[in-house]
Amino acid sequence: MNRRLHRIMIYTMLSIAAFVSVFPFLWLIVGATNISPDILSGKATPGHALFDNFVKLTQQVDLVQLFYNSTKIAVIATALTLVVASLAGYAFEIFRSQLSDRIFASLLAMLSIPFAALMIPLFVIMAKLHLINTHTAVIIPTIASIFIIFYFRQATKSFPAELRDAARVDGLKEWQIFWHIYVPVMRSTYAAATIIIFMANWNAYLWPLIVLQTNEMKTITLAVASLLSAYVPDYGVVMVATTLATLPTLFIFFVLQKQFVQGLLGSVK
Amino acid sequence: MSDLNLRDVRKSFGSFEVIKGVNLDIASREFVVFVGPSGCGKSTLLRMIAGLEDISSGDISIGGKRVNDLDPSKRGIAMVFQSYALYPHLTVRENMGFALRFAGVEKDAITAQVDGVAKTLGLNALMERYPKELSGGQRQRVAIGRAIVRKPEVFLFDEPLSNLDAELRVHMRIELARLHKTLATTVIYVTHDQVEAMTLADKIVVMREGVVAQVGSPLDVYDNPDNMFVAGFIGSPKINFVKGVVDSASKTKLKVTLPSYNNSAFDFPITASALKVGDSVVIGLRPQYFGTGGKQKFNLTVELVEHLGGESFVYAGNGSGELLTIATQSARGIKSGEKFEARFDASKALLFTEAGERVR
Repeated sequence: MNRRLHRIMIYTMLSIAAFVSVFPFLWLIVGATNISPDILSGKATPGHALFDNFVKLTQQVDLVQLFYNSTKIAVIATALTLVVASLAGYAFEIFRSQLSDRIFASLLAMLSIPFAALMIPLFVIMAKLHLINTHTAVIIPTIASIFIIFYFRQATKSFPAELRDAARVDGLKEWQIFWHIYVPVMRSTYAAATIIIFMANWNAYLWPLIVLQTNEMKTITLAVASLLSAYVPDYGVVMVATTLATLPTLFIFFVLQKQFVQGLLGSVK
Repeated sequence: MSDLNLRDVRKSFGSFEVIKGVNLDIASREFVVFVGPSGCGKSTLLRMIAGLEDISSGDISIGGKRVNDLDPSKRGIAMVFQSYALYPHLTVRENMGFALRFAGVEKDAITAQVDGVAKTLGLNALMERYPKELSGGQRQRVAIGRAIVRKPEVFLFDEPLSNLDAELRVHMRIELARLHKTLATTVIYVTHDQVEAMTLADKIVVMREGVVAQVGSPLDVYDNPDNMFVAGFIGSPKINFVKGVVDSASKTKLKVTLPSYNNSAFDFPITASALKVGDSVVIGLRPQYFGTGGKQKFNLTVELVEHLGGESFVYAGNGSGELLTIATQSARGIKSGEKFEARFDASKALLFTEAGERVR
């Protein structure tokens, strides 16, 4: 009986957690099918305004351009961050010394600096480099992500030292060991990092808002926010835009879901 | 030529010296086993020979060529690791041909070479499998195959059987001995298992705290140990050590009495010794040296008997607190608490100084 009660409690807790997680998505999708006044009045059933909302959205923004911008930024930033952070994480763990440990500790300390404090110096740097209103300005500051370097460094602890030794005996140089052994062995770590980085870049708001100044350069996230800043926002249109903006990250997550979980649990078994 | 020479080889990690000046000559085609307790430096020494660990000073040469500054792949060695270290994302075939691929060998030549080795090791049916789909023994065989494919001058094995179960270990031990005969190359094998050392080696190198305690053939090291450490480490069950006192000393003979065994007296022929009357010494008696014959005897009381089927180990004492281990094939009826007369031939006893050095 006790065991049954225990199970009921667990399932109740999980159901609440699942509802809390899924409800915003449901609300978003239902909202996308309703007109603004219905959404504001709290209508929770699907309506028939999906197509109208979509048409209105395409009249207000250039969807293709927005998706192109967002995808370009997220894909390039993700690829570059994976390269830089995994190389750094590998080096910090494999070539450990007092100096490298101190550098790493300093990097971790930098995590505590709020982005608000970095915004102005970063903007000044980008202005001096004549990169304001370019996608390069959005991408550059994200590449050397300290959190992702930390994540790779921790994951590298599970990379068997004997594999590296075997590769050295087999005649591989360090970069070959990294490319031919480390990368394939740690692929679930890469998958998990891909999701984290892609989502962070796709959803980035503050920094792109500061450096991207014309509509042709803006991302889907900025566009959704600008829809909300209208004098009277059309929430149906906002819901459609938000739904569309969420789809790529959902897609990436579902594709890499298995590796993501494995990557967070530790990639080498 | 695949002989290997170590000259005053040292290794320090910071201020801590782990290999303290090793000199060693290994002849071509010899099967040498480094044996010693955990932390004695045997694996570090192997890694230094492989080039995976830099040496702090000294010289390592393979086939007459100094290899101190050569990359592991250029030393003419191949290594089999304790955890096998198979690349998990590659098939057995790809694992075995990996080194050749990076050495720029033609694809067809790799296939021919890998297939030849696979046939020798009976791996043909497993070639397209991944390491996770193999059993421990099969993985071990693939690791050995990967080493053979490189056609090295010297094979290095780092505790290769320690992850296998007892039965498979015996099987692989025999396979390794057979393989050594077939390949006729130099093998350096690290283990802490003295049975592996005794059964496989042409030459055993017993290591202790970063120094070589003794080098010799397995039986030489067993019968004629240089010190108490080697006598205690080689031989199972462990040799018995009994404290004694020098009773009389001449140029050719020492008489030792054992105070804890009714002052039983032993005569040891010697060639040279600084021992004087009254000095403390230690006598070593292997459990297998006891029997029903022999002039010398200890009257003991049995505390415990372990029956292994073929032979039994009797643990017996005389009330002094010390227990002697006696290996015998005629102890089936013996029970704890019974009196036991352990006879032995005094000429087989080994004499050591109190500091542990052998007196000869």
